[in-house]
Amino acid sequence: MADTVQEFVFNLTFPFTRTLGSTLSTFSSALAQGQIIGVRTGGRVIAPPLEYDPDTAADSGSDWVRVGPKGTVSTWTWVPEPTNLHPLDHAFGFAFITLDGADTPMLHVVDAGSESAMAAGMRVEASFKAPADCVGRIDDIIAFVPATDPSPSEGAGEPFVAPEENDITEMDAYCDLTYVDNASPTTTMWAKALMEGRIIGQKCPQCERTIVGPRGMCSVCAIELDESHVIDVPDRGVVSNFTIVTPVQYHGQTETEPFVRCSILLDGANAVIAQQEILGITASEVRVGMHVECVWAPANERSVQDIDNRSRGSGGDAIIGWRLTGEPDEPAENYLNRMM
Amino acid sequence: MAPTENDIAIVGFAQTSPDRRTQLTEADLVLHATRAVIADTGLDKSEIGFTVSGSCDYLSGQAFSFVQNTDAYGMVPAINESHVEMDGAWALYEAYVRLLQGDIDVAMAVGVGKNSNSDPSTLYTIEFDPYYLTPLGTDTWSLAALQARALLDSGKATERDFADVVVRNRANAKSNPYAQIKGDYSADELLAADYVRNPLRRHDLPPTTDQAAAIILARGKRAYDFCERPAWITGIDHRIEAHLPTVRKDITTSVSTRLAAQGAGVGKGPIEVAEVHAPFSFQELIVAESLGLAASTEINPSGGALASHAVMVAGIIRMGEAANQIIKNGKNRTLAHSTSGPCLQQNLVCVMEGDQ
Repeated sequence: MADTVQEFVFNLTFPFTRTLGSTLSTFSSALAQGQIIGVRTGGRVIAPPLEYDPDTAADSGSDWVRVGPKGTVSTWTWVPEPTNLHPLDHAFGFAFITLDGADTPMLHVVDAGSESAMAAGMRVEASFKAPADCVGRIDDIIAFVPATDPSPSEGAGEPFVAPEENDITEMDAYCDLTYVDNASPTTTMWAKALMEGRIIGQKCPQCERTIVGPRGMCSVCAIELDESHVIDVPDRGVVSNFTIVTPVQYHGQTETEPFVRCSILLDGANAVIAQQEILGITASEVRVGMHVECVWAPANERSVQDIDNRSRGSGGDAIIGWRLTGEPDEPAENYLNRMM
Repeated sequence: MAPTENDIAIVGFAQTSPDRRTQLTEADLVLHATRAVIADTGLDKSEIGFTVSGSCDYLSGQAFSFVQNTDAYGMVPAINESHVEMDGAWALYEAYVRLLQGDIDVAMAVGVGKNSNSDPSTLYTIEFDPYYLTPLGTDTWSLAALQARALLDSGKATERDFADVVVRNRANAKSNPYAQIKGDYSADELLAADYVRNPLRRHDLPPTTDQAAAIILARGKRAYDFCERPAWITGIDHRIEAHLPTVRKDITTSVSTRLAAQGAGVGKGPIEVAEVHAPFSFQELIVAESLGLAASTEINPSGGALASHAVMVAGIIRMGEAANQIIKNGKNRTLAHSTSGPCLQQNLVCVMEGDQ
């Protein structure tokens, strides 16, 4: 049906601020000044530096060495169609580049214009962003480009004296991934019922429990449940549990005041419908045992756009919330020790 | 052989259809795989003393995604359960170790991955070194291609060798009802395709697959309750190399595979069949060489990871396929291999034997 979403796109985007520790802080602080460094450990220079010797796990120490800005490609590949996460928007190479003064290669981008320019042994040199744009992250180097003068880098292999305190001790990073999930048959059933103003569950033929919303399986008996096990469940029940959330203003949080989320055990069901909102009372007035009934959005305003496989059991924009029926509370102790 | 109480065997294996795009959720896939293996072995689920799965939150785009998947186990009364953020092959390793404790007799290992929700050219950027690799959008295809180029430049293999691996695996896959990519191809035809990441073409890359698989392990004599000819695990070992491929001395060989093979006792006798987890065609050449396999060993009669490759599942399927060679196909000594991490960083080798 047209109102039921078949595919949903979601972006997983969250910011990190990573602390760098002493070795990476030294590297980043130098990089922001246009200087690439490595560390001499176990008789060789590792660049970019690691905190530990990968062979022995010994502390790499702080015998810093200037490396680059030129280097030699040892292996390479070519990316004809960059993704949104790649640093260049045109075809480019990735390569292992052993910088002058270093013994191990670093992986970086080679902006060579054409695949045919790439070869093991090619001499390349780092091309940095403008000094004001450098933040001490590996992509301060926009790319390596074919070296105009293949001769050795000046000063490569010489000691680097780190400042007493590094300017840069943290790094911003973003996770930005796109997913396209598709509605499972069970999710589709649930969303379709909500659009019709119905709450459905599935009744297990083995243990006779009714699970709301449907999961496509009995999570007690571990057997598959399908459309033949679907039953209508009354849109009224009892608050079996709740929590008051004091919102922290994290990335994406839109709530600003404390709010309640309830589990509701619908009449005749064996599993709760979770994360529900109670209308008309303040957070501090919610009690376990309250009788509530569903407040549906008018049929022409219902939407299940945000019902995906991960939010199964939530009411989307079809259910506005739940209101008190005014019946006397059930004893709260009847709702202890529930597992679902 | 008369098993001791410390001998552990694979006694059952099931997998779901490897689909390019399923409508099912990971929990649905787990249910189908576990129901099938329980039915196959004639177990009652209450006999399973330990259940462990391998899956990945980043494939689902959701934290703790494996918690929903446990719905499929039927956890009333509560069960003894664990999870690894690794291929199900590592879940199997944990199940094996758990059985060695001696207080339970039966364990179930599961791998599940709905891979089609995400884009493999971007997703794994967050798997790599967060300081030096992730900010460059370093992707898993590019890393593999860097390794492949190094292999070509070393003179150990040619692009035609890569294509030949694909041709053989796709042909083998024709007899595997659980293969997604199969058929008769020629190397010439494959080599005519464009590069996706020079020197790799689309056929050198793993397919995108949604799948689950489950394996039942049993200890000592209990194995015969579920299986006439159990696949006894006579050696299993897992070795790891540095995460950053640039600090490894030689990426055209796999030191961790070689050490794991020694640890698992591969060389103690002939291996009739090896199921190798090589997501990229050329990696089969590196792994086969590093395992020290004889020319007579048949590699990937199932079609291997080039025939279907659900990340988190392809490794445990190798375990199941190698076990089935003993359980159902009369072989005596087989090997399963699984890999994880950039450029074959981690490698797990398992040797199985049947009763003679």
